[in-house]
Amino acid sequence: MSDELLLRSRAAEGPLLEVQDLHVHFAGRGRLFGPTPPPVKAVNGVSFTIDAQRTFGLVGESGSGKSTVARAILQLVDIHAGTIRLAGDDVTKVPRRDELAFRKRVQAVLQDPFSSLNQTHQTRTIVGDGITRHFGLKAGEQRDERVGRLLDDVGLSREYLDRYPYEMSGGQRQRVSIARALAVEPQLIIADEATSALDVSIQSQVINVLREIQRSSGVAFLFIAHDLEVVRHVSDDVGVMYLGSLVEQGDADGIYEGPTHPYTEMLIASIPVPNPTVQAGRRALRQSFDNDAEPPSPANLPPGCPFENRCPVAMDICREEVPAAVAAHHGGRVQCHLHTSGPELGGESVVEFITKEARTLT
Amino acid sequence: MTESQLPSEPSGDASPAKPDSPRRRFWRRMFRNPLGVFSMIWFAILIVAWIWPELLATHDPFKQDVTLQRLYEGPSGDHWLGTDQFGRDFYSRVIHGAGLAFRSIIIAMTIAVGVGVPLGLFSGWRGGRLDRAIMWVNDVFFSLPIILLAMAVIIILNPSLDNAMIGVGIAMSTRFTRLTRAVTLQEKEELYVDSARITGLSTRTILSRYIAPNLMSSLIVQAAIISGAIILIGATLSFLGIGSSLDDPDWGVMLNRGRELFRVHGVWQIVPPGGALILTVLAFNLLGDAIRDAIGRDASNNALTITKRVSVAPASTSHAEGDDVVLSVRDMDVEFPGTDGRISQVLEGVSLDVRAGETLGVVGESGSGKSMTMLSALGLTPAPGRMTRGSVQFDGRDVTNLSEGEWQQIRGKDVGIIFQEPIAVLNPAIKVGKQIMEPLMIHMDMNRDEARARAAELLAEVRVPDPERRLDQYPHEFSGGMAQRVGIAMALACEPKLLIADEPSTALDVTVQGQILDLMAEVQQRRNMAIILITHDLGVIAEAADRVLVMYGGQVMETASAGDVFFNPKHPYSKALLDTMPQNHSGEGALAVIPGVVPSATAWPAGCRFAPRCAHAIDDCVTTMPPLEQVESDMVRCLRHGTDLVLADPAEADA
Ligand SMILES: Nc1ncnc2c1ncn2[C@@H]1O[C@H](COP(=O)(O)OP(=O)(O)OP(=O)(O)O)[C@@H](O)[C@H]1O
Ligand code: SF4
Ligand code: SF4
Ligand SMILES: [Mg+2]
Repeated sequence: MSDELLLRSRAAEGPLLEVQDLHVHFAGRGRLFGPTPPPVKAVNGVSFTIDAQRTFGLVGESGSGKSTVARAILQLVDIHAGTIRLAGDDVTKVPRRDELAFRKRVQAVLQDPFSSLNQTHQTRTIVGDGITRHFGLKAGEQRDERVGRLLDDVGLSREYLDRYPYEMSGGQRQRVSIARALAVEPQLIIADEATSALDVSIQSQVINVLREIQRSSGVAFLFIAHDLEVVRHVSDDVGVMYLGSLVEQGDADGIYEGPTHPYTEMLIASIPVPNPTVQAGRRALRQSFDNDAEPPSPANLPPGCPFENRCPVAMDICREEVPAAVAAHHGGRVQCHLHTSGPELGGESVVEFITKEARTLT
Repeated sequence: MTESQLPSEPSGDASPAKPDSPRRRFWRRMFRNPLGVFSMIWFAILIVAWIWPELLATHDPFKQDVTLQRLYEGPSGDHWLGTDQFGRDFYSRVIHGAGLAFRSIIIAMTIAVGVGVPLGLFSGWRGGRLDRAIMWVNDVFFSLPIILLAMAVIIILNPSLDNAMIGVGIAMSTRFTRLTRAVTLQEKEELYVDSARITGLSTRTILSRYIAPNLMSSLIVQAAIISGAIILIGATLSFLGIGSSLDDPDWGVMLNRGRELFRVHGVWQIVPPGGALILTVLAFNLLGDAIRDAIGRDASNNALTITKRVSVAPASTSHAEGDDVVLSVRDMDVEFPGTDGRISQVLEGVSLDVRAGETLGVVGESGSGKSMTMLSALGLTPAPGRMTRGSVQFDGRDVTNLSEGEWQQIRGKDVGIIFQEPIAVLNPAIKVGKQIMEPLMIHMDMNRDEARARAAELLAEVRVPDPERRLDQYPHEFSGGMAQRVGIAMALACEPKLLIADEPSTALDVTVQGQILDLMAEVQQRRNMAIILITHDLGVIAEAADRVLVMYGGQVMETASAGDVFFNPKHPYSKALLDTMPQNHSGEGALAVIPGVVPSATAWPAGCRFAPRCAHAIDDCVTTMPPLEQVESDMVRCLRHGTDLVLADPAEADA
């Protein structure tokens, strides 16, 4: 199975997933009388690609639009503008008759392992439903055997075949979710906060399972999480979202070692490290450039850079113009005026500049 | 891939105990509820009366007393419930009336459910304009009097109870449409429905196999209550003379006759049919309530029904000395009566101290007892749990056996609590200012103006910009970070000596998390307050805690200064937790894991509770429970502490 997948994805030249200038708006909910409020621009021109067998990590605070990107790819919300391609095929809006074929190619593991499983079904049904739907294998011994093999893959014993979700722990439920996604042998799995609800110790178990599966089956992942360390650990490439925009994206290690966007730098500096001595220093750095401003509402975006009111190094131009994406040193792209105006960093890391600026500010 | 490469989940011992199945739990609860039992018995009788009336009836319900001797009688040995105006046996007529009542329910319900549920499913799932149109028509019908609809049907067809019930069914279908649509709309947004769509299941499958079963419980409750209403309506129609024929043993008809006659022949004439009617309607409503209660979710952690403390065994160790000790707990046990009689011991021998100006960090996996420790220490053990042993001192005073009233005084004023989901604590319908002002007016004896001024000060203190304006806003107008600031302001309102923060920053972005932690530290310094910070993030502990309490399986495994826990952990569990953090992972390869899962609280291992997952376990660990021992200024619960083994790599150490 895995060989066939490899061949299929290699045959298609170019990236497996290509998201281009994606916009998703949610209509404002108006009163019966009175003006309709402006739409919430949840995703505002996001572009990125994922190659076969690679993992793209998406980070950002809650409400920044990460899940909406996932839901747009999964055809669960209406797309306002932009295109999505899967191995070259346009899947922006999959027509009904092609939906089954599309579902076979893209699967998901969702955040909350409890509410994403149907409480009234046993594991054999939860995982087996997709097999029946996509491979026509009816419920029975043969299908159970196949579900059993998937349970092996995610490290659960076959005893779990007849467990209900409420009879399993969070980590076990999340493994069942992964087995369900794997059951249809997809090319892409979208993991939306798939490990966030789990304890650290269980989280590392699940992450190991995901990586092992990628190695053996060649599936690509879109891995969404707000925990930057986890994302760094699992991802080849990383994208950072803020208020519906992908403000920076590129090679994972490159970004963590040399962020080119002030927000990315702030995120990385804010990760608390489990070491009191080191953390004391990091705290001082974080405090030196943080302020208490609140991010603007996505229904009422500022005319310039969305990060402007929290940015420690904002310039005049930032209030007026939305920064365009420019090439960054880590091979990706960044949307920040610092690279073309002011210090003209030209796609290099902002760490040094911000640290220096922040010192002079305090 | 081979098995060995994967962190696999052992079955059996490490998996949580299989809980009661929902079906068994449902029946257990139904039979425990006296009102539920009453209604079930009543229905058992009615159902027999309906299916096999001859079994219960003593007379032919239509047989008149031709001698005209025994009319309008009261109860007697022969006629248990007396006789009516034709000398017919009341008891037998009431019994036979049950069949008519059920017939009405079946006709009306078939139509109500048959029309209402599919319409509601369709409308809710489709959404959009069609949904609005359907609901508009539905609402029009909903607002028409039910009797009117029944009359309309009788006029079109011809007068009979059955035809009237068709009208009632149509009227009642609007209730089912509404309910079904509401549930469908809600379930449609649930992740498991998304998952089913992502799997590629068809709409029909999703509606029938995913949404319908979840609808069932609300439908059954609704159906029970509506059945009662249908009987009442049937009786009303008969009473008005447009339902059953005058001869039928219909409860409504009988009631009507009785009403006409009771001036002359005494009140007894309305008792048998009226009683049957009232009891049946009541039984339907009670049944509905009982089902709702039996289906209801388990009392969850946050259900703060507090149990009385009965016979708390004393602690065997003494409290910490010193004026600055704010909260001191010794040897606290907390138990819950489990299902099938097993006791679940969620806390065992928990001891802790917090001093003024100090932050105690509490870490441990989910279910290790972190939240329960705090709740129980503050007299908030959720029912049916109870503290069975231990001693608690707050601010130098023994508070182990305080009444709930006395506790409320202390908690309201001297303890502030911050929760994980700030928005969940705020009432969405009330302006934020009012919610901050309330405790100030209750506990600090302030009047409105003073409270408002203080509330604005508090918001300013937690650095919410533009506090005056913010006071008049509703919670949904606050971002997550700002809402948490409001949560902190509320917790600080009455100048508490102790602030408890249960995962205060877990739901927030790291940058905002930093701001919240800074804010807590700042306020603590200004007020010399004690803080207990519960979190599963060791990074947060590293930043904010002075001392650390590591919990596992309802026990304290280690308490030590933050420095010791991070640089010199004495307990294998502390070490294992540190190792699993991605930050502590060097290079490529799989992350370190703690194999298995936390055992269930009803089935702790006999020896060390961490033994099944511990890389350093020896034979003794499986049989002997390690005591919590003092080691220098720290406490450790491990048989092998001090042997230095735990600090080294287990593979090397045991080699
Ligand atoms: N109402 C209840 N009835 C029975 N057991 C309960 C109840 N509430 C909690 N428990 C049990 O008490 C134990 C400790 O729970 P607690 O909520 O303190 O854990 P925690 O460490 O705070 O976990 P988390 O990190 O998930 O918040 C668990 O085994 C839990 O299942
Ligand atoms: S564009 Fe300006 S405001 Fe935005 S991040 Fe860059 S420097 Fe800061
Ligand atoms: S007592 Fe034994 S099993 Fe328990 S933590 Fe110590 S070494 Fe591990
Ligand atoms: Mg908790």
